[in-house]
Amino acid sequence: MERARISARQLFMLAILFEHGSAMVIPLGVDAKQDVWLAILCGMVFGVGLLFVYYRLFTYYPNLPFTSYSQRIVGPFFGKVLALIYVLYFLYISARVLRDFGELLLTFAYPETPLFILNAVMMLTVMYAVYKGIEVIARASQLFFFSLYWILMLGFVLIIIAGEIDVRRLQPILEEGWPRIFHVVFTQTLYVPFGELVVFTMIFPYLRKEEKVWKAGFLALLLSGINLAMIMGMNVAALGADIVSRSTFPLLNTIQEIRVANFLERLDVLFMIALIVGGFFKVGVFFYAGVIGVADLFALKQYQRLVYPLGISVLFLSLAIASNFAEHIKEGLRIVTIYMHVPLQMIIPIFLLLIAMVKHQKKERKGR
Amino acid sequence: MWLRLRNQNKKQAYPCDKVAQEGIYGTIERDLHANIEKIRNITGNSADIVIRRFWLGKEDNLSSALCFVSGMVDENMVQQLFIEASVQLSFPSMCCDQLEYIEKKIATANTTRRVKQWNDVFSLLMSGESILFIHGMQEAISIAVKGGEYRAITEPSTQLSIRGPREGFTESLTTNVAMVRRRIQHPHVWVEAITVGEVTHTNVRIMYMKGIADDNIVEEVRSRLQRICMDGVLESGYIEQFIEDETFTTFPTIYHTERPDSVAANLLEGRVAIFVEGTPFVLIAPAVFIQFFQAVEDYYARFDIATALRFLRILVFFISLVAPSLYIAATTFHQEMIPTSLVIAIAAQRESVPFPAFVEAVIMEVTFEILREAGVRLPRTVGQAVSIVGALVIGQAAVEAGFVSSVMVIVVSITAIASFATPSFAIAVSARLIRFLLMVLAALFGFYGILIGLIWMTIHLCSLRSFGVPYMTPLAPLIPTNLRDTFVRFPLWALTDRPHGIAEETNIVRQGDEQRPKPNQEMRREGDEN
Repeated sequence: MERARISARQLFMLAILFEHGSAMVIPLGVDAKQDVWLAILCGMVFGVGLLFVYYRLFTYYPNLPFTSYSQRIVGPFFGKVLALIYVLYFLYISARVLRDFGELLLTFAYPETPLFILNAVMMLTVMYAVYKGIEVIARASQLFFFSLYWILMLGFVLIIIAGEIDVRRLQPILEEGWPRIFHVVFTQTLYVPFGELVVFTMIFPYLRKEEKVWKAGFLALLLSGINLAMIMGMNVAALGADIVSRSTFPLLNTIQEIRVANFLERLDVLFMIALIVGGFFKVGVFFYAGVIGVADLFALKQYQRLVYPLGISVLFLSLAIASNFAEHIKEGLRIVTIYMHVPLQMIIPIFLLLIAMVKHQKKERKGR
Repeated sequence: MWLRLRNQNKKQAYPCDKVAQEGIYGTIERDLHANIEKIRNITGNSADIVIRRFWLGKEDNLSSALCFVSGMVDENMVQQLFIEASVQLSFPSMCCDQLEYIEKKIATANTTRRVKQWNDVFSLLMSGESILFIHGMQEAISIAVKGGEYRAITEPSTQLSIRGPREGFTESLTTNVAMVRRRIQHPHVWVEAITVGEVTHTNVRIMYMKGIADDNIVEEVRSRLQRICMDGVLESGYIEQFIEDETFTTFPTIYHTERPDSVAANLLEGRVAIFVEGTPFVLIAPAVFIQFFQAVEDYYARFDIATALRFLRILVFFISLVAPSLYIAATTFHQEMIPTSLVIAIAAQRESVPFPAFVEAVIMEVTFEILREAGVRLPRTVGQAVSIVGALVIGQAAVEAGFVSSVMVIVVSITAIASFATPSFAIAVSARLIRFLLMVLAALFGFYGILIGLIWMTIHLCSLRSFGVPYMTPLAPLIPTNLRDTFVRFPLWALTDRPHGIAEETNIVRQGDEQRPKPNQEMRREGDEN
């Protein structure tokens, strides 16, 4: 861990940007058709449960990141193995998000540019930010939080003014009942983006006032859940469930619908700002957690030395994980969710929490 | 490699240790002739050092000499001093110590001081004091008769205002300090003296409000100033470069001003001012980013106007930063984002232009920078010729020759005007440099490049600190109370707190509650009857 302190407000804004990250632009939970907003809200509710698990773990070890307290809970050997798995997971996900991001840019604006170049430019920026440390990332998140929010509000107002919203497209609600919604929740929306908050177990210890972690995290989750539900709901209301479920970037299609007074049109640049800023923070937080995790696991004093080697590894990993976009998406939905998200976001943390609770109860009894 | 280069230069050590230097010239001798010879020797018999020998006192029994540097002393005072010392002074028969008697009897000067070491003699002599040597005494008397010509107080030439005081700082340190002192008549305005420069012995004053300024910041300023060890300080810019937090940045982390009202306002906000002898520019630390968009006039104008101007300035900063790169990105990569009729108009103009948009933009921007640089350095009389040539070259001939498109001319002019409209020159210059970087990024990656560039800039800005204060305060870290004086300026009665994070936290409130002006109810009733 580096010597740094961030405030609860900064954590809140960082978490919001992180949650919005790529979730805002990709077709999130579109298998739920016009009920997609409901699926996101349900995902958020269960996400609160997961956040509570991470928070309880944090309260037992308020000064340690995940990679350290896993060793306290299940012993040095298994703890280190677990920590290693998590570190690799964080780095892998940051490579995945980077790939997502590069592919999005490639398809929508830069068809001629090699993926490597787009990814490399982004990764260099992320590496620079991570090199500067969590305090700087957190401060930058405060600046970008407001700019992103202004852009979102602007887009929202413009869509309403342009008269693209048709609430009837959101009907019928619960056409196929709750089972389909829960299917979507437990295969998609719970893990991305809400369960991904597991990465914040590496960042919670930096908080200046530890009692505010829950409030900041909970509010961030709540607000981003509502925002994402609104964005996807808006997409459906503007385009119809059918187009949304087949689109690669529903938000882009919605924004392209905006035509106000023959002047405000083709506002793709708004989409691009949201995409780049969000992508930056998502890749950045995962990569930071990975770097700090490695430094913590191998007891390195200066984590900065890891930034360049690991950054370049992530960059090449982002190119190597799939040979094309379709394969990448399929991996994400089929393999990563089942073999990575479910165990690492849900099962292991709950398991660790149970052990930690038992251990602490024993300690308390001994104390008496 | 950098380190290696630096180490090579370090082979010859610089004598920074002030204690070791003391006493290299020894002490004053009893013999007057020997002392005079010593001064002549060490100063190389310089023409401007006047050594006037005379008989001290009415009794004419003390051979003595007065030594001073011509031009640095007040001639009238020196004249008076002679009259006093040689005509009026008389020793009573029963005297204790002649030296002490003389020292106390001389009334012309404000302060007198006895010196024994040659080192002190020379530093006082060079700073403009007169030294009185008396035959047979092992000590000399230094008499403060500093004077000489300085530029008069005039209107500041870099920070003009429509409403507000018209006086600006001068090159005289004492005048500058007094100008601020006159504005804040409070005993807690503390002024510390320090000398910087091993050869120039430049006088520097640290000024702050005790109890309002954070003691840690004051201590940090003091220790950074004391650490400086170099030959000469000729302007406050020298000091700025030795005490700033980060060298490798285009953004200024120390504010400088030549307006005494600006310094006074900053002192009241808990900042520290650094005055340097010989320059009208006073440094103010710690400085935050938003400060460079605040003009003193904002506080003299009413709040709504001030707020509108603040918004305008930030917009202007962004324009001067991104306008050419937006043009490059839009014409090279994102034609579909420009409205159709406009894109046709631009394309029609660009048809005759032989260069890609990036080259076109770089040519025009560089031409403009050349013109500006020429305009700054030229004598005033020739300046007009440059502006005419510039207007013709940039404005018309280049377009008519098919060299650049007229849209590009508009973009460059807007950028140029925008960079002039930024209130602080220091931040306008950094925008100028970053602009070229963004142009390259825009040429390579379009909007993506510009955004990435801006993210880099934001991260960089967030990583900066000025004397421990994060540079983006109060935006990041967010301090809601301070936001009242950033993009918007609240009415003065609502600015209840001094800036958090800069001023002393225990004494943060600066005005009483309920300061909002309300007309008296009775007065209003009378008005209605008429």
